[in-house]
Amino acid sequence: MAAPLAGRRVLDLGALCAQRPHALAASMAARLCAAYGAEVVRPVPESGEPFARLPPLLPDGGSALDRFLNAGKRRGPAATGAFDAAIGDSAALGAHAAAVPVRVRLSVFGPGEDPPMSELGLLALSGLLDIVGEAEGPPARLAGHQPAYAAGLAACTGLLAALRAGGEEVVEVSLFDVTAWLNWKAPASVMVLGAAPSRSGLPKDWHTLPVRDGHVALVYQDKDWPALRDLVGDPRLRREEFLTIAGRRRHHAELMAVLRPWFAARSRAEITAAAQARRIPIGPVLAPAELLDDAQHRARGFLGPGGMPHLPLRWDGARVGAEATDAALA
Amino acid sequence: MPPSPEASLPLAGIRVLDLGWITAGAASSTLLLDLGAEVIKVEGPDAPDPFRHWEGRGEGGDWWNRAPFYNFTNRGKRSVCLDLKDPRGRAAMLRLLAGADVLVENFRRGVLARFGLAVPELRRRFPRLVIASISSQGEDGPDRDMVSFGSTLEATGGLAALTGTGAAPVITGREVNYPDQVVCLFAAGAIVAALLERDRTGQGAHLDLSQRELTSFLLGEELVAAAAGAPSPRRGNADPAGSAERVVPDGAGGWRAEWPGGAAPVRDGAALAAAPEFLRGTAVLRGPDGTPAKGIPFRFARRPLAVHEACRPLGADNRAVLADSGLAPEEIAALEEAGVLATAPRRGNDA
Repeated sequence: MAAPLAGRRVLDLGALCAQRPHALAASMAARLCAAYGAEVVRPVPESGEPFARLPPLLPDGGSALDRFLNAGKRRGPAATGAFDAAIGDSAALGAHAAAVPVRVRLSVFGPGEDPPMSELGLLALSGLLDIVGEAEGPPARLAGHQPAYAAGLAACTGLLAALRAGGEEVVEVSLFDVTAWLNWKAPASVMVLGAAPSRSGLPKDWHTLPVRDGHVALVYQDKDWPALRDLVGDPRLRREEFLTIAGRRRHHAELMAVLRPWFAARSRAEITAAAQARRIPIGPVLAPAELLDDAQHRARGFLGPGGMPHLPLRWDGARVGAEATDAALA
Repeated sequence: MPPSPEASLPLAGIRVLDLGWITAGAASSTLLLDLGAEVIKVEGPDAPDPFRHWEGRGEGGDWWNRAPFYNFTNRGKRSVCLDLKDPRGRAAMLRLLAGADVLVENFRRGVLARFGLAVPELRRRFPRLVIASISSQGEDGPDRDMVSFGSTLEATGGLAALTGTGAAPVITGREVNYPDQVVCLFAAGAIVAALLERDRTGQGAHLDLSQRELTSFLLGEELVAAAAGAPSPRRGNADPAGSAERVVPDGAGGWRAEWPGGAAPVRDGAALAAAPEFLRGTAVLRGPDGTPAKGIPFRFARRPLAVHEACRPLGADNRAVLADSGLAPEEIAALEEAGVLATAPRRGNDA
């Protein structure tokens, strides 16, 4: 069984971070380290684990956030002994990890820049809030904790690289930089094409559509149009205004008037099977409860006991670190 | 700690063969480059990275070298244009693999095997090689061959069901394709982890990364909650961890995000590109010639990370890379003559 961080000790200062985005990001990075085989120690303040009362709350009173993010970690009142790496914000690292050779420091805008910030604020400032949502409605935040978790992924990658390099290092992870990095197409369009995409301009080519038992995601490229047209089979779709992508955008309402009834009359499974047979990348919108019994996730052993996701990675065919994180809910 | 430029980067001496396309594969390799690896991008004359066909590339001339998003993403990589469908191209690829540490690919499942480069065979021939396969669904399972873009995976991975402020679930669409962006942060880490493991054991690995699984993993608490019978509501713009957060009209035609203790403007791309913290940040950097280039999502205090080189033309490194692998000049010339090595796509503008 691969355990690239076997024998390494990682100090998770997520419970001691002053702001929640930093806390979530540090906790995610440390959770990945635990799955990679590190011994992860998470000191908690006297007031207790800060995630213990945060939603989603479970029928037994516990927090699903706490169980997911802290799976495979050892909680303690204080950190003792030597560590190979520590993850936290400036103050927590200064107080608890001054002698740890690899320190991963979360910040809002870069080293030492930590104004009050929320994940919603990070999405707003990075443009990732503006670009998501229905054209006629307000912008929509991505579900869950995407800005913090993405920063956690970046922090873990930086930590692994610093460990491989050896010696001392401070890996600086700016929550804003990571969120803006994810949304690179918007600023890059301005900088190299001279125009940015926007949510409220032209109607979106891709969106969800209501179907008999929920929704599907209507996703297709220009080259998929003939296949989509033939799938639906309505002669009106052969009209000249729908021939090009520009025409379909201009006549979006008319296009939807033809497409909507066809989708509404069919189930997610029917539509997905028919679209996939024509290699159109349409898929069903699935809720978390449906994913628990999903055939693909089951076949690949993605979920452990109690719905606990394993690392989304198979290593020579085997799940990495499953024992460590499964124990939390077994 | 003062910067010490002499400290070598974490992946110095590591050679990556990059068969990655668009973002999920290609930008994962770019992160390895930023961490010090040498990255050789290998594209076929019949199958260049589809990002070369993207908007803004202009017409005529060497259009394939002028696609802005391709050049933005692939800056600093060496470029080889080699026909893997030709047995001579496959033989050359095997020579390159013999000298490589990492192979990154995100083809449709089955394509690598059709090139005669099936993973079990590569693992047997090159036991120290780390092979990273980034795919929509993973290497196996009933949905293995399901065609998906990033936004399809938002739907099938659970993200769309929980995103949106109105009656409909929301996907990010072609401007973001969120799973394609975020997978790079995870895949690059998994590859570095596999190199650490190889440092320990001498063994390479096959990393099977499913973008759909990553999308679900990044909602892990919702899966744990659902398994315990707790509901999974769509919360609109409220904070899933409970604080009162909202998005309100700013009175000037735009929107403002508000939360207890703070507020921020909802920026569009133009406002972001002009923001001071963006300009001094690392999300987008510039190459030595000033061209905007894909940025780096972290900094190292002792080992400065930077964009050192612009994007190189297709096939610019054909001769140097193959000579490096031990091919004689006349063998390279024969491959060029046969069109197995190329510096332009075989098909024209509308390919």
